[in-house]
Amino acid sequence: MASSAARAEVLSLLRSLLRTATKFSDYNIREYAKRRAIDGFRDNRGLTDPSSIAAAFADGKSQLEVAKRQAVVYSLYAPRIKSVMEAESP
Amino acid sequence: MAAMAAVRCALLSHLRVRVESPAAPAVALSFVHIFRRRFSNEVMGSFLDKSEVADRIITVVKNFQKVDPSKVTPNAHFQKDLGLDSLDTVEIVMAMEEEFGFEIPDNEADKIDSINVAVDFIASHPQAK
Repeated sequence: MASSAARAEVLSLLRSLLRTATKFSDYNIREYAKRRAIDGFRDNRGLTDPSSIAAAFADGKSQLEVAKRQAVVYSLYAPRIKSVMEAESP
Repeated sequence: MAAMAAVRCALLSHLRVRVESPAAPAVALSFVHIFRRRFSNEVMGSFLDKSEVADRIITVVKNFQKVDPSKVTPNAHFQKDLGLDSLDTVEIVMAMEEEFGFEIPDNEADKIDSINVAVDFIASHPQAK
């Protein structure tokens, strides 16, 4: 990453994506959003070309907006039964 | 007519409600409430014991997939000792937020780069549960 300001911005974007991911009420979507955010950043960690870094960052930003909006929409249709993965172990 | 007026007057004086006397204790009571609220645990939060925080943070870090649990020590640095990168550090700090039930602001989260720093920050944070 070129400068430390850009680096902090990128980490902050990942943090926002992970925070938004926790807001999904459905277990599968929540876990997918988290996994997808981490994988996306990991896939692009080797980018050096400034224009491709900017493109990846812009893509992440637009995905964050999508995730925020969908978290609200899906909260209206929250599953009534929890996933078995969320069951407390006895 | 005069008799009616006298009766009415007597009745009204009997029914007169004293306003001042109950008001004073109410004010005093609300001061007590404010005082209690201000210093109660629900509002101010309470500080967790440092050794308990350290134990819970070490458990969080050990549960992280990429970390070798045998390498986790109370003084471990995420990047130097545990071989994690900045993306992993973000993940670990998020896991700590989940564990302690509060949100760590970005500028504080950026400073957390080792178990020691995390313990100090969370033990000094009143909202940590």
